Amino acid sequence: MWSSGLDNHSNNKTNNIDNGNSGHGGGSRIISSSSSSRSSPSSTSSILLRTPRRRTMEEVWKDINLTSLHHERRFAPLPEPHHHHHHHHHRAMILQDFLSGPCFTVSRANAAVEDIPLPPPPPLLPPTALSLSSGRELQYLGGGGGGGGGSALMNGHSRSSSNSNGSRVHGQANNNDNNARSGPFMSPSFSDAVIGPSSPAGFFSFCSKKRVMPEGPGIGGDRRYKRMIKNRESAARSRARKQAYTNELELEVAHLLEENAKLKKQLEELRLAMDAQLPNRIALKRSSSAPF
Amino acid sequence: MSGDPLVLGHVVGDVVDPFVKSVSLKIFYNNRQVLNGAELKPSAVVNKPRVDVGGDELRVFYTLIMVDPDAPNPSNPTSREHLHWMVTDIPGTTDATFGREIVGYESPSPVSGIHRMVFALFQQLGRESVFAPEMRPNFNTRSFAREHYLGPPVAAVYFNCQRESGSGGRRFR
Repeated sequence: MWSSGLDNHSNNKTNNIDNGNSGHGGGSRIISSSSSSRSSPSSTSSILLRTPRRRTMEEVWKDINLTSLHHERRFAPLPEPHHHHHHHHHRAMILQDFLSGPCFTVSRANAAVEDIPLPPPPPLLPPTALSLSSGRELQYLGGGGGGGGGSALMNGHSRSSSNSNGSRVHGQANNNDNNARSGPFMSPSFSDAVIGPSSPAGFFSFCSKKRVMPEGPGIGGDRRYKRMIKNRESAARSRARKQAYTNELELEVAHLLEENAKLKKQLEELRLAMDAQLPNRIALKRSSSAPF
Repeated sequence: MSGDPLVLGHVVGDVVDPFVKSVSLKIFYNNRQVLNGAELKPSAVVNKPRVDVGGDELRVFYTLIMVDPDAPNPSNPTSREHLHWMVTDIPGTTDATFGREIVGYESPSPVSGIHRMVFALFQQLGRESVFAPEMRPNFNTRSFAREHYLGPPVAAVYFNCQRESGSGGRRFR
């Protein structure tokens, strides 16, 4: 039973990551089709079975979990015998470590995910535990708005709220995005939810600079907001500068053209006057200029 | 979208109130006339410009005020406005050399951002009716004009200035 639950976990994880990566072999798809729903929990056994086909995901998870494992070492690892069992098998167990890690304070992390009661969130979370931990946070906080947190695991939870369901469809990348944007949920876990460099490129496409990246409860968002406002003002000033100068040039051009036309006309008239007078000048002749 | 450059550049609003231009004002740095909104480097404006004042007669006197409303930084103008130059008792149809420089010309040297440098010309009620203010920073052209019965400006010109090695502005040229 637990194996099936874990299967669903990893299944969803794979699915989500693959969705974010926008392109993956059939392994995850097969798993997803076999599971009851896309959000259904995946199982470790499926991971074990499908390891050869999941190189991509494994590499990703290996990177992510390298950091998470560091963090897990801080906490007393939950002594789950089946976890250890899986540990020895292959790299995919890194995922299991993760599952048994600090973000899973439930005794039966491997159990059928649907039945796991919602535990209180741990105070510290691995920084790369984007979807996993933050998803949990969202659910802990009552899962309003934002939603995104749902990782595969979170989605697999039966109590995963509609938020998770919604985010799940868009894959991991969107989860990250939702995590970043969950303003009302500025929980400490979010401060750790920094997107690591190991994330697939698909993540970054959703995490442009425009997204709010909370550094702390409300503080980071404020700073970012102020910066954005300042930037907008600066951009408006720049546009105004450009428009003002352009207008000035247009006015000047119109003025100069008018002046030019006027001067040319004057020149023409003077030339005519000169021509009319010219014959008089050529012939020197006496003329009376005396006043009397 | 055509409009008065002084309005578009927010000179009208930040420094002066809307006014009707009635006297010609021509500013020349290095024999080049300053157009509204033109960009000049600090090196080009290090010395005081030639200022040709219009008007009809010699018996009308004008005061020229030069301020930087974007000091120290256009996005945070805490020293708005910084007074750079003030010449009073300029007779009509002449230039600034015929007036009295009561606040010496201070070369613009913006540190950050792109600053507007604004010239405003006012008609005086009579000679020797304008007196130098106490300080250069946090000068207020509006209230100064009110205090000295200068009325609304009769002309205004402005240019943009950023630090010598600045990289902003003029991209549209």
